[in-house]
Amino acid sequence: MRNKGLYLVLFSLLSLVFVACEKEIKIDLPASKEELVVEASINQLSINFNYVILSTTLDYFNPSLSLSAVRGAEVYITEGNVVGSDTVFNINDRVQFFDYVDTIFPGIYLSADFRGQEEKPYKLEVFLKDGRTITGTTFIPKAKPIDSLHFWFEPNKVDTNVFFYMHWLDGPEQDNYRLTLRKGYIPILTGWGYGSRFYTFDDSQINNQPRPFLNFSPYKYNDTLHIYLATIGRKEYLFWDSFRGAANNGGPFATPVEVKSNVEGAIGSFTGYGLYQRSVIFRQE
Amino acid sequence: MHQNPFRILIFFIFCLFLVQAADGQNITISGYVKDSTNGETLIGATVKNKESTIGTVTNAYGYFSLSLPSNTTQIMVSYIGYVTKTINLKGAKLSGIQIALLPQNKEVKEVVINSERLDKNVRSTEMSRIEISGEKLKSLPVIFGEPDVLKAITLMPGIKSGGEASTGFYVRGGGPDQNLILMDEAVVYNPSHLFGFLSVFNSDAVKGIEVIKGGMPANYGGRLSSILNVSMREGNNQNFKYSGGIGLISSRLTAEGPIQKGKSSFLISGRRTYIDVLAKPFIPADLAGNSYYFYDLNLKLNFILGEKDRLFVSGYFGRDILDFKSPTNRAVNFNLGWGNSTATVRWNHVFNQKLFSNTSVMFNRYELFNDFKFGAGGFSVRSGLVDWSLKSDFTWFAHPKHMVKYGFNYTFHTFTPGIAAGNIGTVVINESINKQYAHEYALYALDEYNINHRWSLNYGLRAVAFQLVGPYTQQEFDNNTGLPSGNTKEYKSGETIAFYPRLEPRFNFNYLINEVSSIKGSYTQTYQFLHLATTSGAQFPLDLWVPSSRLVKPQMARQYALGYFRNLKQNTYETSAEIYYKPMRNQIEFKPGANLFFNQNLENEMVFGEGLSYGLELFLRKKTGRLNGWVGYTWSRTTRQFDELNNGKPYFYRYDRTHDISLLLSYQINDKWNANFVFVYGTGNATTLPDSRYAYRFGIDPQTGEPQFVFVDRYSDVNSYRLPAYHRADISFTYLAKQTKKFESSWNFSIYNVYNRANPYFIYFLPDIETQTVKAYMVYLFPILPSVQWNFKF
Repeated sequence: MRNKGLYLVLFSLLSLVFVACEKEIKIDLPASKEELVVEASINQLSINFNYVILSTTLDYFNPSLSLSAVRGAEVYITEGNVVGSDTVFNINDRVQFFDYVDTIFPGIYLSADFRGQEEKPYKLEVFLKDGRTITGTTFIPKAKPIDSLHFWFEPNKVDTNVFFYMHWLDGPEQDNYRLTLRKGYIPILTGWGYGSRFYTFDDSQINNQPRPFLNFSPYKYNDTLHIYLATIGRKEYLFWDSFRGAANNGGPFATPVEVKSNVEGAIGSFTGYGLYQRSVIFRQE
Repeated sequence: MHQNPFRILIFFIFCLFLVQAADGQNITISGYVKDSTNGETLIGATVKNKESTIGTVTNAYGYFSLSLPSNTTQIMVSYIGYVTKTINLKGAKLSGIQIALLPQNKEVKEVVINSERLDKNVRSTEMSRIEISGEKLKSLPVIFGEPDVLKAITLMPGIKSGGEASTGFYVRGGGPDQNLILMDEAVVYNPSHLFGFLSVFNSDAVKGIEVIKGGMPANYGGRLSSILNVSMREGNNQNFKYSGGIGLISSRLTAEGPIQKGKSSFLISGRRTYIDVLAKPFIPADLAGNSYYFYDLNLKLNFILGEKDRLFVSGYFGRDILDFKSPTNRAVNFNLGWGNSTATVRWNHVFNQKLFSNTSVMFNRYELFNDFKFGAGGFSVRSGLVDWSLKSDFTWFAHPKHMVKYGFNYTFHTFTPGIAAGNIGTVVINESINKQYAHEYALYALDEYNINHRWSLNYGLRAVAFQLVGPYTQQEFDNNTGLPSGNTKEYKSGETIAFYPRLEPRFNFNYLINEVSSIKGSYTQTYQFLHLATTSGAQFPLDLWVPSSRLVKPQMARQYALGYFRNLKQNTYETSAEIYYKPMRNQIEFKPGANLFFNQNLENEMVFGEGLSYGLELFLRKKTGRLNGWVGYTWSRTTRQFDELNNGKPYFYRYDRTHDISLLLSYQINDKWNANFVFVYGTGNATTLPDSRYAYRFGIDPQTGEPQFVFVDRYSDVNSYRLPAYHRADISFTYLAKQTKKFESSWNFSIYNVYNRANPYFIYFLPDIETQTVKAYMVYLFPILPSVQWNFKF
């Protein structure tokens, strides 16, 4: 529920007045049915965001806080073409992804040969040793550049806060976006999980005009910020929008949220990112 | 069944008019019963002949009409807490009698135990109905020293609380939006202050409350589960009086008095929290500027225009205001407010001794405003609901054995789901969700028929209709993508978009087994056209009311109830056992993770299913004596079934409560001290917990090589887990510090949750890196909490 964040702010304020306490409790839950999980990401800009991660669900109180990796699967991504109203995939365009770093990070499948292209469809195929399969399709939309970005400093502060504003041009069509922010110097951003702030938008409120973004939580003077603006398809947006609710569950106002997967045979998403990246250092010239 | 409901009703009314028969052997007396000290009319006072064989009770305006054998010489008038009065009829006028009763505490020398008709429990056709006076309300143990109507009614069997942080209540398996909450006949759409901790009803201005949880007579409708009728006081038409109370978080002040002595009066009552003021010194500097408060104002004017006409004007205005300034960004300011405004003008007219009418014009508005400002812009969001209503009710004392009620109700609804305006940087936002307009009609007739000494009936028919009309632009959406399909349909102003005519038959009977016991039964069919869009368990200010539409069909419930009622020890004890069975259709839930805020396609987030509730309610009440109170026990089961949820299997409703016990004891220790004790127990709420989890949004920290990810929870069966049972005991003492003719003051000392029970509010989970496991934590709100309140009157 989109209002949940607001409710939590309100609840925190009320906690200033009312007494809320908590204690640890023991809960017995029945064993769950194991399901496959896939996180597949491709883009046209950087090889660091082309990967397929395979894992399984765990019983809730399973004594493990790691990825429950699935090893030894055959993973392929095929680039296709749109011909009229049909999408055609040729087996000759199939690229295999391998678990190169299996001993360090099992379950992560990568390819040195794969390069995504804007405005192309892609097919994911995963074959597990036990016969299970996962399939899905996605599309890499055209990337949207950030047209304007400026920042300002909060006055009269020793440890100066920085705010920034940017916008990009949202077209008349239905566009959806994921925005990832990462502070600090990094040679490469390896996997989306290393971002520090994540936002998902569609254009239901703002369409066919500059799409603004303003940060409410400030950065500091001299911070380096890496901005990754990705244009994504509708079903990919529905997944990431539901993921936002599912990953922030809990609290008095929460209701159980399930992600809206866009793959068959597993929970998860195969997302093509039309990626634009820009970095900025917050200091006066 | 849905064809021509109004035609069927007119035929029914015609049949009722045939009930009047020759009545030459009787005399009819009529008039008003009121409090002798302040002129307030008394609702539900008993008027009967001396032999107690024939009687009636005053209606919501204190009016009665009673047919008696022509040789009757005396009548007796009684009301709980008042000295019974005997009226000689010889030579007295028979119409427009003004009977003034003296409160018992004004007559200290005489111990009067007699009060209202004590065998009403077994004799009337009413069942599943509860009344609490404003005075009783104030004596109950309270949290933070604030007496609260909605907390008080949850001490009754069959009515369950939504929890400590909720004024939402659940009646016989129905949701909180299935209760019609009326304040002087005006609908209150959001009855909560302080995010549900307290209700909007200021106890100083409350005259009494009545809850109908089943066997709803035909003059009520609009919601499936219950009616909560809150009557506001009229004001003292004899003397100027001031009263108030100072509690831990708020204070109240009421002024009342005659405009023209004995003829007209006013009452104005206000309440405001001061937690914002009290908390100010303790708030850290970076949170300074944040505040939260609520206030409300009640106004009532009462005019006796003549023997036959009375006019009442009542109004309510309440607001909750939250001001939030970001501690990290002073340019960010968030202002949230919401509140109800209601206004009612009521005109009572006595056509003749046998025909009484009330006509009301009502206005009510619920609005939410939300202003958000930040460095590079700001915007505001408004939403709400406005109603204009006209209602006319007639009571026709047609025959000693028949009392006929008929009337109509018309409401025009305007729904404003959301308007947003503002800017973010250079980008201008001016968006709105289409307004919706609807007409709601109701026409009813009922007959209270005393067939003979043993049998009595209350049967009626209510014809209702809901018409959603233009102007409106209906957008069509693709159900898979949630995107507009591009197709729209324009409806002109007044053009019908959806029309739902429905019939609601109502039937109650009472069979008197003997003078102290009876069997009662009822059948009720109800429809509801307005629905609350919420995904949380309780009602919150941001929740929207949405109308029935082409896709959203009206909710419907049938309720069958059967009860055995018995009084013991000369009516000192009332007991009852009721069973009920209540199937519900077209129930509405929202899909998991539904976005309800500013969503043009809200209907696509809804799913529709069925509900079922059944149970047994046992009740024992002692109404009089130094020790009085009640104990109630409910066994019940409530389920919901939706094809899209829980794989289509029925699941327990969140507030399904197998066992529910409530105990209230009041003891008058002496003239100064009164003690109250409350104990409640309820099976824990049904809740959905995750059964598995998975890691997602994977990344690798290039500096440390450590993986980064979040855990996402997976859920299986809906509401298959039970929270721990809810139980607590509260105690309160009221001390009458001073009582003179001119000044009265009292202290209320309460201890909430005396044995410090940790009752569950919600459960959350946290990964523990040390043990590499996930741990569960239960949050509970209120440990043992003492509070004090000082009340005064002069």
